Amino acid sequence: MREDFDPRQVQCFRFVGAEYAGGEARLHYALDDLQLTEVVRFPGAPEVLPQRAQAVASALSMLHWLAGTSYYKAAIPRQIEFAGPLPDPQAAELITQVYVHGLAEFAYVNQVTLADRVVIPRVAAASEASPLSLPRRALVAIGGGKDSLVSIDLLSGRDEPFAVTWVGQSELIRNCAERCGRPMLNIERKIAPELIELNRRGAYNGHVPVTAINSAILTLAALLYGYDEVVFSNEASAGAPTLIHDSQPVNHQWSKGPEFEVAFDAWVRSRVASDLHYYSLLRPLSELAVTARFARLESYFDAFSSCNRNFRLSGDKPRSRWCGECPKCHFVFLALAPFLVKPALVRIFGRNLLDNADLIGDFEALLEWGADKPFECVGEARESRAALARLSERADWREDAVVAHFRRHILPRLDPAELDLAGLLAVGDRDHLPERLRTVFD
Amino acid sequence: MSAADWIVLKFGGTSVSTRARWSTIGELAQARLNDGHCVLIVVSAVSGVTDQLKGLIEAEAEHRAALAEQLIARHRAFAVELGLQASVVEPVEQALHALLKSPHAAVRAYPWQAEIFALGELWSSRLGAAFLTAEGVTAGWLDARTQLSAQALPNQGAWARHLSTSCQVQPSPAIAQQLREAGSLQITQGFIARNLSGETVLLGRGGSDTSAACFGALLGAQRVEIWTDVPGMFSANPRRVPEARLLRHLDYDEAQEIATTGAKVLHPRCLGPVRDGAVPLWIKDTQRPELEGTCIDAGGGNGPLSVKAISHRMGVTLVSMESIGMWQQVGFLADVFGYFRQHGLSVDLIGSAETNVTVSLDPSENLLSADNLEALCADLARVCRVKVIGPCAAITLVGRGMRRMLHRLSEVLAEFGEQRVHLVSQSSNNLNLTFVVDEDIAEALLPRLHEHLIRARVMAVDDARLFGPSWESLSQAPVATAARWWERDQARLLEIAASQGPAYVYDLASVRAQAQRLLAISPVDRWFYAIKANDHPALLQALAALGFGLECVSTAELAWVQQHCPELPGSRILFTPNFAPRLEYRQALASGVMVTVDGLHPLQHWGAEFEGAQIALRVDLGPGRGHHDKVRTGGQASKFGLAPADLERARLLAADAGAKIVGLHAHLGSGILDPQHWAEVYAQLAALGERFVDLRWLDIGGGLGVPGSGERELDLAQVAAGLARVKQLYPHWDLHMEPGRYLVADAGVLLARVTQVKDKHGVRFVGIEAGMNALLRPALYDAVHPIVNLSRLGQPATDTVTVVGPICESGDVLGRERRMPAAAEGDVILIAQAGAYGAVMGNRYNRRPLIAEVVL
Repeated sequence: MREDFDPRQVQCFRFVGAEYAGGEARLHYALDDLQLTEVVRFPGAPEVLPQRAQAVASALSMLHWLAGTSYYKAAIPRQIEFAGPLPDPQAAELITQVYVHGLAEFAYVNQVTLADRVVIPRVAAASEASPLSLPRRALVAIGGGKDSLVSIDLLSGRDEPFAVTWVGQSELIRNCAERCGRPMLNIERKIAPELIELNRRGAYNGHVPVTAINSAILTLAALLYGYDEVVFSNEASAGAPTLIHDSQPVNHQWSKGPEFEVAFDAWVRSRVASDLHYYSLLRPLSELAVTARFARLESYFDAFSSCNRNFRLSGDKPRSRWCGECPKCHFVFLALAPFLVKPALVRIFGRNLLDNADLIGDFEALLEWGADKPFECVGEARESRAALARLSERADWREDAVVAHFRRHILPRLDPAELDLAGLLAVGDRDHLPERLRTVFD
Repeated sequence: MSAADWIVLKFGGTSVSTRARWSTIGELAQARLNDGHCVLIVVSAVSGVTDQLKGLIEAEAEHRAALAEQLIARHRAFAVELGLQASVVEPVEQALHALLKSPHAAVRAYPWQAEIFALGELWSSRLGAAFLTAEGVTAGWLDARTQLSAQALPNQGAWARHLSTSCQVQPSPAIAQQLREAGSLQITQGFIARNLSGETVLLGRGGSDTSAACFGALLGAQRVEIWTDVPGMFSANPRRVPEARLLRHLDYDEAQEIATTGAKVLHPRCLGPVRDGAVPLWIKDTQRPELEGTCIDAGGGNGPLSVKAISHRMGVTLVSMESIGMWQQVGFLADVFGYFRQHGLSVDLIGSAETNVTVSLDPSENLLSADNLEALCADLARVCRVKVIGPCAAITLVGRGMRRMLHRLSEVLAEFGEQRVHLVSQSSNNLNLTFVVDEDIAEALLPRLHEHLIRARVMAVDDARLFGPSWESLSQAPVATAARWWERDQARLLEIAASQGPAYVYDLASVRAQAQRLLAISPVDRWFYAIKANDHPALLQALAALGFGLECVSTAELAWVQQHCPELPGSRILFTPNFAPRLEYRQALASGVMVTVDGLHPLQHWGAEFEGAQIALRVDLGPGRGHHDKVRTGGQASKFGLAPADLERARLLAADAGAKIVGLHAHLGSGILDPQHWAEVYAQLAALGERFVDLRWLDIGGGLGVPGSGERELDLAQVAAGLARVKQLYPHWDLHMEPGRYLVADAGVLLARVTQVKDKHGVRFVGIEAGMNALLRPALYDAVHPIVNLSRLGQPATDTVTVVGPICESGDVLGRERRMPAAAEGDVILIAQAGAYGAVMGNRYNRRPLIAEVVL
């Protein structure tokens, strides 16, 4: 039980190098003398085409740099070195952002400051990428929750060619992916075993910007298998700061936000392939707008879960997919309620969370009513308020404990103008989407 | 000579899909022919064919030809497997081709759909008749549509009139005779009939069973045998209640009630025709024809009073309506039910009082996908306060004469009393008693209710006329249990009892064997033995030598371990106290063992004690499990663990105190025999672990059940497989488990001699020299221990006795209603499974001395 690793003694984090061969990317790092290697496996990947070799090398470098967050954070040493090629200025900016903002929650939890530590050296400039004539088809990230399933439905409705993709082991995701009836790609990621050992011995630990890492993995996959789009499903409010710490915004999932999306896409287009596009299809939608659309996708009701506690295992029992206690469960239940018939909704969760008086406080937190918003990815307070206001009007909901409480004690003190559900369902700016998909929500 | 009786045999899809199964059908038919009966076989379509036909109906016209070819090829291939010419099925193929060309195909007219669906049964019956004839059992082929005619019901829509119709049949000796003349063995189709216009129609859900029942009634058959893949109907759904017993005998009404309230074996629709025709209906298992199955007939009405089954339906929605306006208001209910009709929602159960009416709705299309319910509630809200409650489960006790059993249901009612019961309904037919509860508790409730019903003798499972073996004893080959160690050591044990008086005796070899079985569960990285179960030094040393760590719950236990296992390092000792004083934490931390905190108080008020320490948190994951309330250690009423909602608070408090949380621990109860339990706990605990950056291990507790008599062994291979599944998702954390009772229960017995025998009010009491002072579990938890007369091992059991101790307490009962040979003063009684929570709970009540412990 002794801790013999003192992260404060580590001087230097080094990007040692990365290579790709035979469907396997090997990413090497070092914390002083300790070598760490992460492996990412792309099942059945074809040989790299010569005309894409340069692009593959760039994408591999970016994956190497971004996946480094997991290893860097074990000690956050003062010095960051590159044994291999240095990033171009645009890449260096992106890396800095990911290390500072993507690790902000880590820094907050561990009470450390990163902003002045992350200094990324860079080369002067780099050449612009050219088009690679990638086949017109998309890799769509699937997560087992409602968001990616809505994207998949939108794209299916347009007869878009695409495959569903996920990284790592998850029965729940596989279950959902199988129901999409599309080609599936499950990429395997193996964290360096030495890191797990370091964590046992006293290394720093905490959240890493996993969406950024997965974005880099899928970008490399797009070049290997031949896809010209990498599609994620982050909605409008994803990436909004959860709190301010040390005058820095701390965001639970910064890499799901628009800032990362824009910067990463710009880098991919200018340095990897000008015809490879990275975007989030649901960015124009609010959480409520996403759930409104998900409410029509009955075939996933007994397979999906947005619960952050029970998210890896699938199960036929609702209880094994929805813990019923976390803010995600509460929010998704509430956000679906206006758009589903009541018996269908309670069947998904196996219980009625809005008729449980013990949860009144938790729902008040979602409404930001006398309590802080939970440290989790849930919709905005005005979305929860509008949803509850709508339920207060519905005869089949109005007597349920949480709804009745809201109706009696909170609703009379809210401005009715702020409770317009229809307004929250409006589709926002779609300029970042490929032209042909800008009408997909209509 | 009197005309031979008909027997109708019905076989479903899987029973007609292979040559081997058809051979079985031939043998069953031949046996009945040999007994002098005539036999009518009713068959379903080959497995999956009805779905394929449905696909063909739904497909676009240009895809249908290809789908038709698949069906034709499939049946031709089956003909070849059966050793037949493909020409046997030509008439069906011609019919299919004609139907594809029909002008009705484009609009999918209902009569056309019925004709397409009918092809499946026509195919299978043609193949079957040809096969049996070729095998030497001459079988005629009968078109069911020539005999069964359907009548439209008032209010029936076009869809139901063609695709979900029903038949009215009258017994017809003339038809019975006419068919007899055509041949003593006939094969016909289930599911299909004709209407008054001569069109093909379908009998809807459960169609083939209904066909068989209709034929049984029409022919005045001696019986109808429904051959299925299960041994019969059970006293509960065996998936939820493995202890459910086979129902040997039911009357029509009981069977109807069970089928309507949840059982899927038989469609309730098929009971009407056999009841009207007074034809017995048997349910038999194709895989095991030797099993007796379930017999349903008119019954004598003078059988013993018994609840026959617990059935349940999930997905029930309640609508509760409250209004002072309904009191003495003529027509109020008529208006209310008018709304239900108007919105197409059919009401099932009703509970009514002066100011409240609550009704239940079964899951239906109208309820689940349209907004009928919302519209209904909007209408109802104009006349009363309405609340929609769900998801609920309706749990029904079925048995004739329910009202006369009510007074014996106290334990069952107590079980319900702990839950939120939304509606209770007892019908005037005196057949059922229904409770509507929250759906998420129903699953756990069913096995407990079943157990209570048996224990309260409301379910008379000992009556062999009514009840057969349990599902689990039928579904598993009986496990050959090795001779109990104490049977082998009988002579030695008798000697110990004679020389020492009452004594606990432990068999170390049994402890080691049990430990080895656990060590084989590879996903578990480290095992701890919860020493509170039995802290005899010899046991601790034996387990420590096998690599087990030890778990203590008090500093006195810690000192005991340090005294008897001085070599054991602190890293292999857990300290998991509950409501212990501050000093104990300080002492434990100082001695370098792993300390678990199970409340906020220690971190909040004694933070200084934890500075620089590595600790674990015990979490209460929710409803606990176990064989008795007092051994459930999770859920609202439990004093153990932190609520998941308090974990974040605990994390921050620990950080403030400068402590690292390296372990999370959960333990939800004991005596658990469901092998999936630990994987569930593991997954839930792991999901909570994501927030703890210093986490190294998860401890999912113990609670591994020791099977009592008639219970199944815990399947450790399944436990291991479940854990492995979760482990691959969370390989970065070690997995710990800490069983107690599982390791030592069977290894210990309590020996005591008979003191006196007393007969009183028809009860025979056998008194022994040790009671609740020696073994508290029966009094404390209603624990059931096997009890044998060791002096008379192997002699026939002639007495039913209650075994009691010498303590002056009416609760001093070690076992009730035990069957054993007649006992005499001085006989040695052995109480088995006493190795855990036996001697450690021993006390000196009544100034009786503590019991000796002997290790073999």
